[in-house]
Amino acid sequence: MKLYNISLQSIRRKKAKTFFLLTGLMLSVSSVVMLFIVSKNVNSNVASLLDEFGANIIITPKSDELSFNYAGISVNSTTYELYELKNDDIDKIRTIKNSKNISLIAPKLFVLEEINDKKIIIAGIDMKEELRLKKWWKIYGKIPSSDNEILFGSKAMEKLSVRLKDTIQVANHNFIIAGILEETGSQDDAVIFMPIKIVQQIFNKKDKISLIEVAALCYDCPIEEIVRQTSKVLPNANVTPIKQTIESKMTAVHRFEHFSFGISAVILIISMLIVFTNVNASVSERTKEIGIFQAVGFRRTHIMKIILLEVLIVSLFAGLLGFILGIIGSKFIVPLLTMDDIIKINYEFGLIFFSVGFSLLVGLLAGIYPAFRATQLDPTTAFRAL
Amino acid sequence: MSFIEIKNLVKEYQTGTEKVYAVNDVSLNIEENDFVMLFGQSGSGKSTLLTILGGLNKPTSGEIIVDEINLYKLNSKQRSDFRREYIGFIFQNFQLIPYLTVEENVMLPLAIAEYTKTEQKEIVFSLLTKVKLADKSKRLINELSGGEQQRVAIARALVNDPLIFLADEPTGDLDSKTSNSIMNIFTELNNEGKTIVVVTHNKEFIKYANRRIELSDGKIIKADYMPIEMEIVHSIHLNE
Repeated sequence: MKLYNISLQSIRRKKAKTFFLLTGLMLSVSSVVMLFIVSKNVNSNVASLLDEFGANIIITPKSDELSFNYAGISVNSTTYELYELKNDDIDKIRTIKNSKNISLIAPKLFVLEEINDKKIIIAGIDMKEELRLKKWWKIYGKIPSSDNEILFGSKAMEKLSVRLKDTIQVANHNFIIAGILEETGSQDDAVIFMPIKIVQQIFNKKDKISLIEVAALCYDCPIEEIVRQTSKVLPNANVTPIKQTIESKMTAVHRFEHFSFGISAVILIISMLIVFTNVNASVSERTKEIGIFQAVGFRRTHIMKIILLEVLIVSLFAGLLGFILGIIGSKFIVPLLTMDDIIKINYEFGLIFFSVGFSLLVGLLAGIYPAFRATQLDPTTAFRAL
Repeated sequence: MSFIEIKNLVKEYQTGTEKVYAVNDVSLNIEENDFVMLFGQSGSGKSTLLTILGGLNKPTSGEIIVDEINLYKLNSKQRSDFRREYIGFIFQNFQLIPYLTVEENVMLPLAIAEYTKTEQKEIVFSLLTKVKLADKSKRLINELSGGEQQRVAIARALVNDPLIFLADEPTGDLDSKTSNSIMNIFTELNNEGKTIVVVTHNKEFIKYANRRIELSDGKIIKADYMPIEMEIVHSIHLNE
């Protein structure tokens, strides 16, 4: 028989007390595990939703010659470009290490064209990607779906005095105005949007791209890293992060994380109180037993070991069971919070160490004072109880 | 020098504004192999004296010297070690750990000793045989009768082979037949050379002791020699 045998027997034979301590601690651990998993998954969910809400990286060719601005970024004049972006640069971006963090790539080719004696910007775009990128766009009519359909900004429409479903000629090709963009208050209002491959074709700019907008969010790694990796694969391009956009996205993403940390801290305190109350009451009830330990020659450290071992053994099991319960619970809670039935839950099995560690820490912190109190118990008090 | 020397021992408690003397200037020598009966009314201080003697209850003043060790000059750790080596406690109501089996209760003091599991089992088995409980070693305490529980408590007190046995009302909850069998065990231990101090209010048990000390209000009021037929000479020093 060793001291741990005494602790084990106490746990084994005091079933009700052990059950309450174990359950209290297990529920605390499982709540923290659930919060962790839910926070991680909700963050991921929010991040991917935010990814699709505006670009946060703009890629432009390297050149000193500037001709006009788009979205606050100077776009090089095609006439004087020293370097150019090309279609295959999009594929190169997909090869970076953090490509999984890139949610969309929206290339654009800008051309200054004269239509009906008025100069206007024509933007060749990948319609599908652009619509994902600019969720705030509202289109009257329909989204252009064929090569001869185009989308007009509201100011461009006024400038050229055209209407929905009119046919206009651009570079000797006829196009139908399939949709009109509701006023956005941005440069988009003054632009005519066409499929990029058509712009490349009719303006004889095969494979050329003026700029690329990228929506990427790496909520668990710095955006600068994605910029660095992209610059590496596109040495002739300026890769610029839009800090303000990134920071507002990160703030939104981390808000739930902060909330989770706050709740976890509250749970930590509550669970410590549960353990403390339980163990402290147990020590008071065990005055007689502690008196016996003293009478048979146990030192104070021996008594402290017995009490702490009991708490730590229960904490260990509470940590393991809490982890399992947390995993099961999160299976139900994550889909509810993300409102997505088919969301894939990311589990981190390092969490098992966190769960056990958390539980042991709570047990140790909350159990140390009652255990110490047991050692300070006046034997006379114990013997009066005897 | 006597085996146990109690010098001017005082233990006072504060009850509200009043001081109560549980033990009041007691001096006493106990020799090795004495069998001492401590008598007295409830509240006379006999149990307090016993716990002080066992190193569990620090006196307000005075000294206890056991085998030339000044007990209350030791620190807490040394006093625990002293108890383990010198003292075997036996209490009224048996005071066993309810969640441990008979065997585990007896083994309890060995949990901090340097014995292997096999050695522990051997020691405990021989002791349980001695108190006639070897066949009930795996039982829980609440499955035993009062007499059996007290025998377990005696076996536990014996397990470290201490030199002194301190028993506080060991027969308090037992019938007279069982009480006599417990007293016979103490006599056997005394015959083996152990020093026995028993607190009791039952004067019938005087026949088992070679010394009788009576306390009242924390003071020794009577200290008799053993019956002459026991042919053992003991010294008593009373500082009264």
